[in-house]
Amino acid sequence: MMPIWTKSGEKHAVTLLKVQDCHVLRYVSKEESGGKTAKLLVGGKNVSPFSKPESAHEIFKEAGVPRKQKVTTFNVTDDAIIKPGTPLYAAHFRPGQFVDVTAKTIGKGFQGVLKRWGFKGQPASHGQTKTHRRPGALSTNQAAKVYRGKKMPGKMGNIYRTSFGLKVWRINTKHDIIYVNGSVPGHTNCLVKVRDSKLPTYKDCNKNPPFPTFFADGDEELPEDLFDEEIFQFTDPSVTFA
Amino acid sequence: RVSSDGKPPKFQPPPKPVIVDRKTQKEERRFLSPEFIPPRGRTDPFKYYIERKDMIQRRKVFNIPEFYVGSVLAVTTADPYASNKSKRFVGICIQRGGKGLGATFVLRNVIEDQGVEICYELYSPRIQAIEVLKLEKRLDENLMYLRDALPEYSTFDVNMKPVLRMDHEEIPVNKLQVRMKPKPWSKRWERPKYNIKGIKFELPEHKMKAAQKWSQPWLEFDMLREYDTSKIEEKIRKELSEELEK
Repeated sequence: MMPIWTKSGEKHAVTLLKVQDCHVLRYVSKEESGGKTAKLLVGGKNVSPFSKPESAHEIFKEAGVPRKQKVTTFNVTDDAIIKPGTPLYAAHFRPGQFVDVTAKTIGKGFQGVLKRWGFKGQPASHGQTKTHRRPGALSTNQAAKVYRGKKMPGKMGNIYRTSFGLKVWRINTKHDIIYVNGSVPGHTNCLVKVRDSKLPTYKDCNKNPPFPTFFADGDEELPEDLFDEEIFQFTDPSVTFA
Repeated sequence: RVSSDGKPPKFQPPPKPVIVDRKTQKEERRFLSPEFIPPRGRTDPFKYYIERKDMIQRRKVFNIPEFYVGSVLAVTTADPYASNKSKRFVGICIQRGGKGLGATFVLRNVIEDQGVEICYELYSPRIQAIEVLKLEKRLDENLMYLRDALPEYSTFDVNMKPVLRMDHEEIPVNKLQVRMKPKPWSKRWERPKYNIKGIKFELPEHKMKAAQKWSQPWLEFDMLREYDTSKIEEKIRKELSEELEK
């Protein structure tokens, strides 16, 4: 995470996400998948092919791509279908867009009810016998049972969670880095899924992104860094208020 | 002089003059700002490289001078609510924290009997100028104890003139021992964990001995805590000098 300043001098914290060897692996049509839209399987980081059996390598061999650590599905409309085997770059997103970022949260192991659910526990003194961090009552007398989904101790973390509506401040096309506002679930160097935001406020915010994706062998030459309009770029002199 | 065989003494050529090259001597003392040294952790070093590119970019446009904890600085920042749209603050640097772009330094001064500390970010675009009025080091890396010292040690004249110094001189170390206000202090500065050398403790002997109870003499031998930055520093210095000369 890094600080970023706007032209008016305000500071925002920004998370750096690297797009590492992303390739489209397979196209699954609407009828095949049984869903509402067609799906595209996309693979992430390259990883050694020797730790999995040959049967697991079929998808990668079809696409002509080394074995990937993670394979995710994206629901796409019919006009956004991409041929399997195309690489995906950070320039797919543009500064000023809003994205949702999904990742597995940091695993905390088996945790008690105070840390896992934020219960208040019991006082430390004034006669409490062996009861300081316990959940207390589980249900009422009338219910005569404990409801399903009762908050109790258990394994915490290591589940998929999404941060919605994060602004993209800057894109580095040379190293494929996306600078995304705020924090993102997961530990450092973990695998993360970035999608266009589904929030209704940002429905029309996408400002002509490259559609269906950014092709590196195309004609447009992008500069090394793409900045949002409001960012203070370090090549400018210091901010002054008129 | 007694000559051998009556002949005149053998010609002794004069000793060769020793030329002390000031430039090579100056290069031996190179200052690397502490926020460039990456902390120990599991982050990819590539992230620090990207951050350093931004820091170098900012340094090319705006000059961040060399300074240490204990030097007196004057910082002008842009402020939309001030009359001249800019604010100037003079103070002694008591702490330099943070790594990378978020590096900060805290300046302290006593203005009209009120102690004021301001924490500035080195790479913030609101800072318009940083001048070093007096470049010197102190016996400690962290001068937070000045909060509990007598106010005379933290007062600096707001209209102080910069102290001139020659380029090749060593940075002076001010061995000032500061006198404290009576206890209670904000932190127990006499304890060995703070390792403060710049205070003149006027506490009774038994209190100083009692403070040594919290010493942890095994810490200096703990090999897992060692972080040797010499090689990393060399690489970063080379990178910096190459980039800044462009």
